Amino acid sequence: MKNKAEVVIIGGGVIGCSIAYHLAANGMKDVVVLEKEYLASGATGRCGAGVRQQWGTEMNCRLSSGSARDFENMNEELEYEGDIEFIQGGYLLVAYTEHQVEQFRKNVALQNSLGIKSKFLTPLEAQEIVPHLNIDPLLAATFHDKDGHANPFHVTQAYANAARRLGVQINTYTTVLGIKREGDKVTGVITDRGEISAPIVVNAAGGYADVVAKMAGVNVPTYSERHQILVTEPVEAMQGPMVMSFHHNTYCQQTPHGSFLMGLGENVEPSHEIRGSWQFLKEMSDKITEMLPPLRHLRIVRQWAGLYHMSPDKTPILGGTEELQGFQMAVGFSGHGFMIAPMTGRLMAANILGLDHKDKDILATLNIERFAKGELFVEPSVV
Amino acid sequence: MRLEEHPILKFDRGPRVTIYFEGKPIVAYEGETVAAALHAAGVYHLSDSQEQHRPRGFFCAIGQCSSCMMVVDGMPNVKTCIVKVKDGMSVQVQRGKGDLGWSIEK
Repeated sequence: MKNKAEVVIIGGGVIGCSIAYHLAANGMKDVVVLEKEYLASGATGRCGAGVRQQWGTEMNCRLSSGSARDFENMNEELEYEGDIEFIQGGYLLVAYTEHQVEQFRKNVALQNSLGIKSKFLTPLEAQEIVPHLNIDPLLAATFHDKDGHANPFHVTQAYANAARRLGVQINTYTTVLGIKREGDKVTGVITDRGEISAPIVVNAAGGYADVVAKMAGVNVPTYSERHQILVTEPVEAMQGPMVMSFHHNTYCQQTPHGSFLMGLGENVEPSHEIRGSWQFLKEMSDKITEMLPPLRHLRIVRQWAGLYHMSPDKTPILGGTEELQGFQMAVGFSGHGFMIAPMTGRLMAANILGLDHKDKDILATLNIERFAKGELFVEPSVV
Repeated sequence: MRLEEHPILKFDRGPRVTIYFEGKPIVAYEGETVAAALHAAGVYHLSDSQEQHRPRGFFCAIGQCSSCMMVVDGMPNVKTCIVKVKDGMSVQVQRGKGDLGWSIEK
């Protein structure tokens, strides 16, 4: 392992690997990535894998639609020997209350103004897209056919392989124990395999971003919460889009393999707990068989849990901090880090290297200083 | 062939019923599993593997291995080694991953 680098990235998830790749692709090759376990072993590998552009804030719409364009060309851009399995089957968002209908109308207007061609649908139109959807209690839906899903393990590996080819060093099974600083400047990282001195340290630690920030003595307003997913046995392809309900707090997607993958937002206390619960199986099954009744015939194969790292406005925190020079953050993705990882990597690299980027204003907007100023961008549409 | 005697187990054969394998009537006895009745009738090919479409037969017999999953009364993925026969039941070899009746063209 190197003992000196220009940039050290803490976290070998999709965010860390995307930043590493974009740094190297822009000429900064003296980069070290540190990962406590294996690549994508944390939040990335446990996520729902969705790529959605139907968001309720301009920032999330721009980050996700820019990223979707990257996903479309990723196998080629990264010269990946595998396949990131990006499939654009669309996202169908369903509304059950007048309040949600109103929010969806606003969201679609915003999305359309930003070039995202989402559509507002009646329940019958929604049922044409997902025939097994129960539309009895449904009031409306929105659909965007360019939304979809990709394989988080392959995406992370694709970024990591491309970064390595450009000279980035990726150290797995390497735990960060501390962050060194001199005054208000970061100077390096202490790991269980030795120290690395570096003028720039990036916190891309996903569900443990709060722990890493603490090591650096930087205050972040983020916290982790457990989210659970289950997967069923496979059946022949029957559902194209992801179906998502903010009312039930659920999402459900059929994977290319034929299994159904579904998750649920629960009310849980902040923690780093990732053990599963039987209560989730019960609640998830109750809700999904009401929304998509034929799924009652499927057996559950397994369940797992991962961490959402929540920020107060459910929008990520990107860039540096006045508290500590050289300390860069890509944290608080609030459950949608995977789908905006490509744009996050581009913007973080541009920020670190002082390069221009047409969407660089996003960085200024999503800087951590927004909380002190009270300029929050509350995302209304999160499961 | 069915065992009549066994040093430990007792076989209380129930009333005779008929199940239909691929439309053909097969003799079965209440209390037997579907897979047992098929095996006794010489049916060894229960499903096709999902990727290579090779024949799969009776294997673990305790509902764990997925080798005996068949289409029973129209429902796919039924573990026939742990589901008991009912008079008039229709059983078919399962080819592919199973169709809940909503499948779409890929």
